[in-house]
Amino acid sequence: MELDLLHNLATGFSAAVSLKNLGFALLGCLLGTLIGVLPGIGPIPTIAMLLPITFGLEPLSSLIMLAGIYYGAQYGGSTTSILVNIPGEASSIVTCLDGHEMAKQGRAGAALGVAALGSFFAGCVGTVFIAAFGPPLAAIAQEFNSPDYFSLMVLGLVTAVILAHGSVLKAVGMVLVGLLFGLVGTDVNSGLTRYTFGVSDLWDGIDFLPLVIGLFGVVEIIRNLERPALRRPHVSAKMRDLWPGIKDFQESWRAVLRGTAVGSILGILPGGGAVLAAFASYTLEKKVAKDPSRFGRGAIEGVAGPESANNAAAQTSFIPLLTLGLPSNAIMALMMGAMIIQGIQPGSAVMAKRPDLFWGMVASMWIGNLMLLVINLPLIGIWVRLLSVPYRLLYPAILLFCVIGIYSTNTNMTQLVLCAVFAVFGYVLLRFGCEPAPLVLGFILGPLMEENLRRSLVISRGDPMVFLERPISAALLAATVAIVALIVVPQFRKTREEAFQE
Amino acid sequence: MVQVKSPQDLGAGLVFTLIGLAGFYFGADLTVGTGARMGPGYFPVLLSGLITAVGLVLGLRGVTVEGPPIEPVQLRPIFFIIAAILVFGFLIESIGLALTSVLLTILATYARPEVKLSETVLLGVGLAMFTVVVFVYVLGQPLPAWWGR
Repeated sequence: MELDLLHNLATGFSAAVSLKNLGFALLGCLLGTLIGVLPGIGPIPTIAMLLPITFGLEPLSSLIMLAGIYYGAQYGGSTTSILVNIPGEASSIVTCLDGHEMAKQGRAGAALGVAALGSFFAGCVGTVFIAAFGPPLAAIAQEFNSPDYFSLMVLGLVTAVILAHGSVLKAVGMVLVGLLFGLVGTDVNSGLTRYTFGVSDLWDGIDFLPLVIGLFGVVEIIRNLERPALRRPHVSAKMRDLWPGIKDFQESWRAVLRGTAVGSILGILPGGGAVLAAFASYTLEKKVAKDPSRFGRGAIEGVAGPESANNAAAQTSFIPLLTLGLPSNAIMALMMGAMIIQGIQPGSAVMAKRPDLFWGMVASMWIGNLMLLVINLPLIGIWVRLLSVPYRLLYPAILLFCVIGIYSTNTNMTQLVLCAVFAVFGYVLLRFGCEPAPLVLGFILGPLMEENLRRSLVISRGDPMVFLERPISAALLAATVAIVALIVVPQFRKTREEAFQE
Repeated sequence: MVQVKSPQDLGAGLVFTLIGLAGFYFGADLTVGTGARMGPGYFPVLLSGLITAVGLVLGLRGVTVEGPPIEPVQLRPIFFIIAAILVFGFLIESIGLALTSVLLTILATYARPEVKLSETVLLGVGLAMFTVVVFVYVLGQPLPAWWGR
């Protein structure tokens, strides 16, 4: 077993470590951080905007670059949280609490250093996690049949809905709308077109890119413009002593370990991921601390724990995607979309048929983490200066890159009209309190769910009991019911609300 | 008289209900079939039904349960950003990337109330040069750099 693990990782490294791929990993990290560090732009819009760049590459290089972009975007978010108190996304909100406080006390260097080192450690552990848990899970997945897959997707979507922000009912609605959008185009079984309104560009379905860029990228720009001009961050922190001192290490290494453990586990859960992990870790640190009142006033554990946790979770959330073909959150849905565009259907088959691809990607995750450590710490001065570029100069550029990205992957203007439509749609729904993330999950799973439902019902001759008769499917549905029951229980509901309050 | 208690819920309910009904209406010509032989309309109709149901429940909640108000919508940003995207889409084939980049930049800048025209034009020209060099010449993307290609 252990030998297998080493052998597998060796396969991966030999596939991933070429000068070209290392270059793409580095470029991905750089670009990811570059966009991610811009205030108010989180990982999802960042990845959506940068997706088109990776399309022209061969599959492995493109996935390696994407992973780099993802980690870069995450780390960029932490940097803005610490330095200017503007979280790019939900998972770095907690980093703001103590990280920015540390920056105000002139310890920005220590906070950034601990965040980077903690993230790197967590990333290493996460990688080993994938290598260790990937094959057994994929082996289980080999046993899966259509009814099992269908139930798995139900479980995944239900969990994602419950762990989403805000109203559960609205998230359910968004998932369903996403599923429906996913069906637009030619029905593979009958060859008939559905919901295409006579537009021939829709025969192949709604393109992924205009959808995500419209819903996330463009809506984000519009929302930022609505806010009163962001107070220009005044970064007074001294960047000289970036390396945390001995005392900082002593205070934070336990938090890093705990955060890594929490993150690795929460990342695997469908619907989990970086956000949940960061919140859980912060709560845990506060609980175990001797003096909880230090939190919110620059406690280094409050940075070390959540930063490690969100990176570990960012890593391990690849497990359900790569082994079961189930994206557990919107970012993984983006990754899945990118893989499908590359002609790879994520799932257990990838590991069996293309081990170089699977293990290459695992190895590249570790490389991506290393790159981050290597480029971010020395370049921090540049990122900081980037923060002082006024938004009025930035957003036209960002918008232009989004639009070129969409147009260059599929050169017709229908794609841009679609992007505009989804931007307005996403904006309106956001005003009504509906987050777009569940919609993307549904969108990507729509065709798969329909196909598996169809196959299941063909096997059973139309008897829906098939979902309860097969043990795997029944177990997955039982888990779904248990989770739904949990949310009905008032106690859990209260905790959930409190967790999102913080 | 029905009173709107949670405008956000009511709005979301309305949108979902409309999508659900549209799903039924535009999917009406698709065969539903039976479970064992699912037609192309089976899953869409199922989803449309669920979406409509969610929409109705949300709408009902909008008039019964107290909720937060809708943040005021500012038309200026959304109008100019969408216009910029569409102008880019409609003109790129005929006038090329360089000019559409400048146009998009100018339109996008008007999404904010105070515009410095000289700065905007400068930014537009800079971005146009950058995109033409990077996307057309370096990356070799299938974009026309100039008009009349």
